[in-house]
Amino acid sequence: MLIINCPYCGPRDQSEFSNGGEAHVKRPDGSKEIGDREWGEYVFIRANPKGLFYERWVHTHGCRKWFNCVRDTSTDEILVTYKLDEKKPNLNNFKSVVKTPSGEPEVGSGNFTVEK
Amino acid sequence: MKSINLKENQFIQFHQKISFKFDGVKYFGYKGDTIASALLRNNINLVGRSFKYHRPRGIYTCGIEEPNALVQIISEYSEPNTRATIKKIYEGMEIESQNRWPSLENDFGSINNLFSPIFTAGFYYKTFMGPHKKFWKNLYEPLIRRAAGLGKPPKDFKGISNHIHHNVDVTIIGGGLNGLLAAKSFINSNYDVLLIEFEEQLGGIINNSNKISLIDNKEPKDWLKETIQEIEESKNVKILKNTLVTTYNYINHLIAIEDRFVGYKPIEGKVNSTLHKIRTGHTILCNGHIERFLSFQNNDLPGIMLSSSFEKYMCRYGLAPSKEPVIFSNNSNSNSLVYSLIKAGLKPKAYVDSRSGEEIEPNLFDLIRKNDVPLYTNSQIKGAFGNKKIEKILVEDSSGALNEIKCDCLCLSGGINPDVHLFTQSKGLLDWDEKDLTYKPSKPFQPTITLGSASGQFNFDNLNSDVNEKLKTFKVKKLDVKLELNTNTKYNIEKLWEVSPQKKSLWAKSFIDLQNDVTTKDIRQAITEGFDRIEHLKRYTTNSMGTDQGKISSINALGIVSDLLDKKVNEVGTTIYRPPYAPLSFSAIAGRNCYEFYDPERKSPIHSWHLKNGAIFEDVGQWKRPWYFQINKDESMHDAVQRESINVRENAGILDGSTLGKIEIKGEDALEFMNLIYTNSFTKMKQGSARYALMLGEDGMVKDDGIICKISDQHFIATTTTGGAATVLGCMEEYAQTEWPNLKVFMNSITEQYATFNISGPKTREIMKKAFPNINFSNEEFPFMTFQFHEFNGIPIRILRASFTGELGYEIYIPSNSAPKIWDNIQSVGKEFGLAPYGTEAMHLLRAEKGYIIVGQDTDGSITPIDLGLSWMIGKSKKDFLGKRSLTRSDTIREDRKQLVGIIPSNKADKLEEGQHIILDKEIKSPVPMLGHITSCYYSSTLGHDFALAVIKNGHSMIGTKAYASTSSMSTTGVDIVKPVFYDEDNKRLVS
Ligand SMILES: [Zn+2]
Repeated sequence: MLIINCPYCGPRDQSEFSNGGEAHVKRPDGSKEIGDREWGEYVFIRANPKGLFYERWVHTHGCRKWFNCVRDTSTDEILVTYKLDEKKPNLNNFKSVVKTPSGEPEVGSGNFTVEK
Repeated sequence: MKSINLKENQFIQFHQKISFKFDGVKYFGYKGDTIASALLRNNINLVGRSFKYHRPRGIYTCGIEEPNALVQIISEYSEPNTRATIKKIYEGMEIESQNRWPSLENDFGSINNLFSPIFTAGFYYKTFMGPHKKFWKNLYEPLIRRAAGLGKPPKDFKGISNHIHHNVDVTIIGGGLNGLLAAKSFINSNYDVLLIEFEEQLGGIINNSNKISLIDNKEPKDWLKETIQEIEESKNVKILKNTLVTTYNYINHLIAIEDRFVGYKPIEGKVNSTLHKIRTGHTILCNGHIERFLSFQNNDLPGIMLSSSFEKYMCRYGLAPSKEPVIFSNNSNSNSLVYSLIKAGLKPKAYVDSRSGEEIEPNLFDLIRKNDVPLYTNSQIKGAFGNKKIEKILVEDSSGALNEIKCDCLCLSGGINPDVHLFTQSKGLLDWDEKDLTYKPSKPFQPTITLGSASGQFNFDNLNSDVNEKLKTFKVKKLDVKLELNTNTKYNIEKLWEVSPQKKSLWAKSFIDLQNDVTTKDIRQAITEGFDRIEHLKRYTTNSMGTDQGKISSINALGIVSDLLDKKVNEVGTTIYRPPYAPLSFSAIAGRNCYEFYDPERKSPIHSWHLKNGAIFEDVGQWKRPWYFQINKDESMHDAVQRESINVRENAGILDGSTLGKIEIKGEDALEFMNLIYTNSFTKMKQGSARYALMLGEDGMVKDDGIICKISDQHFIATTTTGGAATVLGCMEEYAQTEWPNLKVFMNSITEQYATFNISGPKTREIMKKAFPNINFSNEEFPFMTFQFHEFNGIPIRILRASFTGELGYEIYIPSNSAPKIWDNIQSVGKEFGLAPYGTEAMHLLRAEKGYIIVGQDTDGSITPIDLGLSWMIGKSKKDFLGKRSLTRSDTIREDRKQLVGIIPSNKADKLEEGQHIILDKEIKSPVPMLGHITSCYYSSTLGHDFALAVIKNGHSMIGTKAYASTSSMSTTGVDIVKPVFYDEDNKRLVS
């Protein structure tokens, strides 16, 4: 469970929010010709990294505003939240974050608590 | 086992007798007793039967780590698997032992013990996989289901739990010596601190043992009293007692459960537990250590107990479970038990230590010699024997000779482990300590600090410096506490996991997991069969998979495995300890989110009228909607639905449509926004007109439909399906904020602000005229798909001429508060025209006759508007709208997509069934190529036969052909594929 810092309301319980998937995915301009591949990637393809991830959230049971954040998918920690019209932060600013907890393998989820 | 009460004890009120029942027999204990201590006082030690073999089991420990003494509390909603070692008794408590039949003394299932060769490691897997499938189903499974298991699940769910949230800087888990010292440092600092103790009293080892003689030159209990008072008086430290932290999540989020009725019967209807959800900056783990047992033949006999548990019964409960126990140890932790026994005027029957004489601490040696306790050094207990209780043990002494010792109690100590469960839940790393032979916390993953024995500090030498050093990041007081000990020793242990048996027998077993009945032989067998990875081995043998998670035995298993594999324990690794630390009841997790609060019910403003008029309700999302109205108790659903639908076709019906989603859209750019959200174009639409509209997902599939009323280019009101209201509003808000933030548009839900009545049928106009005499309902003044605002008796109303039944119809929108009045008025003026209410089922039938779809019934997220034959609704000239580009994807323009068609049985008397397949062949010969399926199906009194809507491959071009529908009795019915409209195809009635 997380405390999420809504850029409009401040820190609130995770249960007030809904996740909206990857952030900064641009919707192709409908007034122009859009290729099958470009459109298909917009509709169906999203990144799913283990580690730092730009993500959209909405304060559903609050101000109902959408905002962006950087979340570490391996620890669930939300490192920063920012408004939609703000520039996305550089992921290199968050280098100190552990990529995988407790020496788990980088890919997949492990049961290893013991460092090899 | 003959126990004796010790004089005077600060925690037990010997003057206050309490009576309770165990397996129907009445016993007495004292205020402050747990079930276990009270039973031991009554010399009862057989308290349960084991999981698989139904072996007699007794009380093994004095705390939460208990593997055996699990009981069912009959007087408390029949709560099963309660640990007798922590649950306090109260007057009138009723307790039953578990997993025995017909009685604890004479248990039929104990015959399993003799069948034990078939119950070995991997038994369940092997039997499942084996060639004797019928054997499993008919013989093994019923037998095992009856025989294996713990308590019985309670019939009712009655416990009430509250949830409380905390947000603190520091949480100290464990109110023992180190927890108190940590809390003491934080007194009157600028930190919000929570101190959580599982037991009723703070103090831990100070209360539970005689290890410490003086603290700051005071009696430990006096020091304790002063310290607790200081903490209680501080402004910033809050103490939670009777509270167990069960879960340590990411981001320092803790879950703890507080028992609100310790030593009292929970009052029905009162909150009996509180679930604390704690968010904390730092967590300080002071949750101490757990003693482990040793494996030897019959190490599960009642009368065998951990040595520190025996000492805890003496110190905490004023009770020596036996007057002369034998002690068997491989370490120095049991020294204080010898001291406590002698201090109480008792004497061990023998002291058996696997260590050599030189390794045994000199002061223990002196104590034993001075009191003439028979001492066996370099010795091991080969086995314990007795009928339902320990009667004798076999000791192999340093010369290899066997000595038989008669005894009624054996105290075991196989060493101690830091209680690392919470630390590993937090994803902290463990490291094997080769000297102390245990896993100790090394690298924390979160802001976690471990103190005292929880961190693996088994000696008291560095008490002050350890606390001061680890708390130095905080601005807190430095500690300087002086400690003196009764048994002044450093922790010392010799490796011993298992004593090999003297001779093998079928009955004699050496257990490694008491709760799950796993033997050391099972571990060997699993390794022989190739399960040498510790996580595999755990699952194959079920070792440490009981409700106790192998608290007293899982490290022993790792030791045995590492010896067998000839690896270091660190290389073998450890299995993960998972939350919860101890079982958490479902009622605690559910909190108040149960019964009527589980999922809120939404009711229309007319709900009470429906109740009075025979409505049978159906759930639509959270809404209660009238399904149909029963005119008398004997009317069947079929009859009611047919009556209601015919009445709409012949006279008029009224439907409470208040649950329909209603969204108001306003703003300078509202028109452009609506054009982007819906498939339709609203640009050329006249003010005051309405339009049936579709909303797609970006994948081009139909997500919702509704009627859009255009008040002006800057103001629209949209209706949505009952279930889709929140999603549609959410989708509009999302796109307005994320994709088109330049558009000036606002939207708001007005679903609950307005009631909606749908009136339809040939006589509707007459009824409306009479109900609203000032309004002109003629075709010229009020054409189909237009709406008007009016005032009626001072109530602002909006009337929309639209229909979902195919008849002439109007929808009236009324502020919810005024709705019942107008509803009643329409009912009374409509009576002479035969107006009757109809429910959702008749509505479904009527709309299906007309071929109108229901999103979510006739569509399933894989259907495009083109598949539905609704291409006319797509604003093709529009540059963009949700999902537009997807309508020309290679997949959506495929020819063999499933498309909406109508189905009627070729022989009109035949029945159709919803969900059945449409196939081409009369004969069902597998594999059967399936064209699609029936999405809606009804009997229509108007048509006089069954009819259906279906989605089938290439359906539009199959109209006019014949096919077959499968039936639930595995046969087929010949059907005609027709256009999906069965009634008034030219819309004559709609615009009449
Ligand atoms: Zn907010």
